[in-house]
Amino acid sequence: MIDNFALALSHGLLLLAAWRLFSRPDLDDDDAPPTEGPARGRGFGLRSGPGA
Amino acid sequence: MRDLAFLGFIAALIGLGLKRPFLFVLGYAYADIVSPQRLSYYLLNSIPGGISLIMAGLAVAAWLIADDKRDTRIAPRQGLMLLLLGYAAFTTFHADMPVDALDKWEWAWKAIAFAIFLPLALRTRLRVEAFLLVMTLSAAAIIIVGGIKTALSGGGYGALNLMVSNNSGLYEGSIISTFAIALIPVILWFARFGTVFRPDWRVKLFCGALIFACLLIPVGTEARTGLVCIAVLAVLMLRDVKRRLLYMTGATLIALVAIPLLPQSFTNRMETIQGYQADESANTRLAVWAWTLEYVQQRPFGGGFEAYVQNRIQVQTVDSRSAGDVQIVSALTQADAGRAWHSAYFEMLGEQGWPGLLLFLLIHGAGLVRMEMLRRRYRGRTDDMAWVSPLATALQNFHLVFLVGALFVAVAWQPFIWMAIAVQIGFDNWVCRRERPQSRKSWTAEAPAAAGAA
Repeated sequence: MIDNFALALSHGLLLLAAWRLFSRPDLDDDDAPPTEGPARGRGFGLRSGPGA
Repeated sequence: MRDLAFLGFIAALIGLGLKRPFLFVLGYAYADIVSPQRLSYYLLNSIPGGISLIMAGLAVAAWLIADDKRDTRIAPRQGLMLLLLGYAAFTTFHADMPVDALDKWEWAWKAIAFAIFLPLALRTRLRVEAFLLVMTLSAAAIIIVGGIKTALSGGGYGALNLMVSNNSGLYEGSIISTFAIALIPVILWFARFGTVFRPDWRVKLFCGALIFACLLIPVGTEARTGLVCIAVLAVLMLRDVKRRLLYMTGATLIALVAIPLLPQSFTNRMETIQGYQADESANTRLAVWAWTLEYVQQRPFGGGFEAYVQNRIQVQTVDSRSAGDVQIVSALTQADAGRAWHSAYFEMLGEQGWPGLLLFLLIHGAGLVRMEMLRRRYRGRTDDMAWVSPLATALQNFHLVFLVGALFVAVAWQPFIWMAIAVQIGFDNWVCRRERPQSRKSWTAEAPAAAGAA
């Protein structure tokens, strides 16, 4: 029960991080414009953007 | 069910990586730290070579084929690591315990090889942050389990179940204690400067809870090393707090409140730090270290991995108790054999001899010095480089806590520390590259003007 909770929480956050990185152009290029859109977008402080 | 969840997670990671190949590098870090195949029942175990091999192959191939390699830098430390890797290959070939040595070589070489490669891929600010984030969240999988179980049951030496029975890697009590405490400064940095998860109240809440879980790990595992690490970290953080008196008062108060809440078995075990003469475990360490010093007189170039297997030691424990007016002193001598190094420094010395220990100290020493330089140079910045000095401080604190923990735990080849060193190099290179277009000179000299202006 505890194991599954900890695994779900950490893996959920890892997946969310991967998803956010996926849509950040500055992952591959520092000079790329930071993701467009409002600084605080959909839920959990997400900087929303159109994707790479 | 858990198998399917893991499989889905890994498939998602690989799927995203096909578009953003750097995610394979993160995938390798995850697979290496969490070892999902050890947590699954069947599916992942049936993949030949394991998930980490697949991720490593994809990461290196993606870097070779698709990544931008302009401005690639090789830091001197990468050269030193390559030298250490070559040297370890040599000692493995001439090892006293060839079979055991080969077993350790099989995982140890990957840790160093990946750390040599990683700085090449960490070429943007976001990549440095992302890699640290994955290291933290991967370790968090184990830390959260340990934290909750300790909070609920109190744990116990060798009794805290961290999901796997085979306690190697980060799943071993003393090792996770050291790294959990070392991670605290990095978590604090994320709570201030993270950009993947912007520091809002939810992120701060998670970071706070994770730090609490980190502090519970040494309690749950009853690893004395962890308590020493907490003390060291508390002192290190004194360097950068704004209100020192308040910090010291707060820390003392927390300690005073926490001590009565600690389980009795933990307090008993921690008390043995003082009375080490009566403690077999502490005496075993001293005996193994003495044996190592003698051993390297005959084998100054090291006996190869796992050379400790051949040790034969005498452990003496002296226990003095008073019964009324009488002081009863009981001395006991026990023979022991094949006792592990119990210290990364002696591990390095025994296995890789003086040259290996020298390389080890050079690599770690250079990391501390470089972080100190960045820490000072960027201190007080309020522009877009404001995060640099705090990150250098966090990585240096991580490193120092590790080096203290390493006095008592054989963690010289743990992939987690080599990843942290690689992050330091990548971060350092990134800052160098950023500064270069502005001024080459300002890098070698103190640049007070740049500190305020840029």
